Amino acid sequence: MKNKINLIAGSLSGILLVCGVFIYNGTYKDFIQGKSNVVTIGVFSDSYWEVQNGYSYHILEDAIKLFEENNPGIKVEYTSGILKKDYSEWLSAQILSENAPDVFYVLADDFNNFAETGVLEDLSLYIEKDKDFNIDAFYSSAYAYGQYNGKQYCLPYECAPKLMFVNKTILDNEGLEVPDKDWTWDDLYSICEKVTKDTDGNGTVDQFGVIGYTWKEAFESEGINLFNRNGTECYFTDAGIGKALSFIEKLENINSGYNAGSKDFDLGNVVFQPMSFSDYRAYKPYPLSVKKYTGFEWGCIPMPAGPDGDNISTLDTLFIAINEKSRNKKAAWELVKALAYNTEIQSEIFNYSEGVSVLKDVTESEQTLGQMMDGNSLDLAILSNIVEEAVVVPRFGNYEEAVAQVEQAVTAIIEDGYNISMGQIIWNRKINKYLKNSK
Amino acid sequence: MEENSLSEYILVIMKNLNFIIILYVSLIISYSLSGYIQENSAYEFLAEISVTPPAAWKIPVVCSILYISFLMLMLIKNIRGFKLVIKLCLEIVTSFFISYILGFSYTGIVLLIIADTMKFVPKQGWKFPFIVFICFFYFIADYDLMSLHYNLVSLETYIGYFKDGTGSVLMGIKNIVNSLNTFIFLIYMILLVRIHMNEKERIMHLNNQLNSANDELKYVNMQLSEYAKESEKMAETKERNRLAREIHDTLGHSLTGIITGIEACTTLMDVAPEATKEQLKAIAEVARQGITDVRRSVKALRPDALEKSDLSNALVTLISEMRSATSAEIEYSFETSLNCFNEDEEDIIYRIVQECITNSIRHGKAGKIYIYISREFNLLKILIKDNGTGCAEINKGFGLHHMEERLDMLHGSLNYNGNDGFIVEAKIPIRWGTEEKG
Repeated sequence: MKNKINLIAGSLSGILLVCGVFIYNGTYKDFIQGKSNVVTIGVFSDSYWEVQNGYSYHILEDAIKLFEENNPGIKVEYTSGILKKDYSEWLSAQILSENAPDVFYVLADDFNNFAETGVLEDLSLYIEKDKDFNIDAFYSSAYAYGQYNGKQYCLPYECAPKLMFVNKTILDNEGLEVPDKDWTWDDLYSICEKVTKDTDGNGTVDQFGVIGYTWKEAFESEGINLFNRNGTECYFTDAGIGKALSFIEKLENINSGYNAGSKDFDLGNVVFQPMSFSDYRAYKPYPLSVKKYTGFEWGCIPMPAGPDGDNISTLDTLFIAINEKSRNKKAAWELVKALAYNTEIQSEIFNYSEGVSVLKDVTESEQTLGQMMDGNSLDLAILSNIVEEAVVVPRFGNYEEAVAQVEQAVTAIIEDGYNISMGQIIWNRKINKYLKNSK
Repeated sequence: MEENSLSEYILVIMKNLNFIIILYVSLIISYSLSGYIQENSAYEFLAEISVTPPAAWKIPVVCSILYISFLMLMLIKNIRGFKLVIKLCLEIVTSFFISYILGFSYTGIVLLIIADTMKFVPKQGWKFPFIVFICFFYFIADYDLMSLHYNLVSLETYIGYFKDGTGSVLMGIKNIVNSLNTFIFLIYMILLVRIHMNEKERIMHLNNQLNSANDELKYVNMQLSEYAKESEKMAETKERNRLAREIHDTLGHSLTGIITGIEACTTLMDVAPEATKEQLKAIAEVARQGITDVRRSVKALRPDALEKSDLSNALVTLISEMRSATSAEIEYSFETSLNCFNEDEEDIIYRIVQECITNSIRHGKAGKIYIYISREFNLLKILIKDNGTGCAEINKGFGLHHMEERLDMLHGSLNYNGNDGFIVEAKIPIRWGTEEKG
């Protein structure tokens, strides 16, 4: 009798334990619905580059068609109508309720958050196992952007480097040449110094050299590594930082207190402004429905190089990732590859989006883009090089907070008129203390 | 024993309380999770935490299922060794899993394992390492420690969803029930220790009782061995008496017959020599019978007649022998079957009849003897009556005395009267359950 009770209790307990585990990890769905032959993808309806081009799902539909041809029996589904501004919240809600799609786009700003929370599947194994997949086809920088703590969580889908927009009209008027592709801080400074003036003689400066050029751009083009890989240490005392800081201070001094905004650039009163390559793509080709900059001639060139740096900047990248909880990861990986690794699909980015393909071969052989850039100091080879050489920032848990600390330090040093190297030492200690405490 | 059932009750209360707490905490988590989603703060919430929590509905459901599984494990009793280790390990695994789902915000379920272990792990040797191990687990199963190893979402983060006042109240309630659980656990342990001590006391008391009983037993044993010696002596005396009786019964009987016969011969010899011859032959037969009896007495001390045949036949033979050996007329009537007695009873019945006939002839000079055996309920009645001289004053000879002794052994009784002839009445209780043989 006793034995019987024990046996019943034991087996019931075992069954319940297994049930609990199956419900917890989602295996129960396989029992209820059978193996799924549908792969879902999370996508937003408008352009990542905030340009309305009317091609919202064009590339995706083509990729799905390709995928379904190569993987018969598996269907791809997506929820349409989610705007980019709602996308992060929508995706987060889906993740929290365990309804997230198998594959989804990841905005650059969301990448850290999702990677840290363990939402994204580590792709390293898939990449290792897949013999058709060669990471050298990607721009190494774009590829590296999808890494977090040394693991590959995302593949880049499209990207856009930061470039320097130039108002050619002002330069013509001032009798200056558009700078070369390998121009430097000194060139930037001398042009700014020359063009910053009061043109109508009313006593206020109304023509400016550069706006939106911050310490970040300066650090990037000086080749500075702000943090170590794991974000446990900050190298704020680096000599390059000192140079960048004094350069920024010098630039700001030209404006003599007057801060111009991006409106001034739109009005044609500013020579330089750093902008994304996607803006160039959106507004440059003629005829295009939107003509933003009507009163002047403009073009774009690489960022100016620092004394110890290069003509480079960061990339803005849109990623694709696999849901860590996906029940159909094999198919999900195929879909990711169809979107990010297929040359046909990737070349459509130049026709239906404003970014740059993340595949080197696709970008370098793109003819329409080449024609578009004719007559500029920018050509496909340079663009390709800018993307390839783009600065890869380390990714760690509290990267945003650490950057905010640096921002605070830079503002304090420049605005409070510190001795720069003293300020660097003081703030280096503070930031490192913060990094240590937040670990 | 009352305390024992009280501790059972407390264990039941603890089980229920744990279920309530687990459900409470999981519902808080579940509610706040779905709240974050509904209020479009899912992204912010994700940014705050370092691991994706399971879907809101899963937490209470899975916790309940696991807890029921845990209770089932606790139902398993009376096992030892390898199975017990597996059971306890499973208990730990299940409780760890529940705690993990709840982000280690509640670990009191481990106390339940300790309570269970304390009560049902039988061997002291097993108990100690188990308790140490579980305690160790209880100490480390804490959010702050566990979050070093696992990515966890603390209960505080979930409670952060509730607006100021509500959150504190919810947290307060959780802390109160948590403390209540610990408190009940303490009471349970104290009770268990008391039960343990009482048990020890009881055992010591029983031990003492056992010791004194042992001493008593030793004394009684000594007495018993003395008594045994005495009774051996008594048996010896009894046997001697019995032998005397046997000799009296056999030899005495035969000799009486012979004497009476010879006396008759002396008288007859001149008148009827032929009859004398016959008489002498009968006497010789009696003498032979006597010798056989003596031989047998020496051998088995049992009437030979009984050896050869059953009681009624033996009696009939005895009577016909006496008839032919003496001039007395002997009548008999057996109104009940005599085949249902044990040997000792048969012996005694036979001897009584034999003795009475001998007495009637020898002392009463009787010419007629009636033997009447009947049964009255569970009493066997033997009535022997003669028309002899009887005797007004009965001088208990060896025969009557022995008869009484023998009947005493069977718890029977003997009455006699010598006023008109001689009447002997013997009553023997028939043993209960004695059935007729064949």
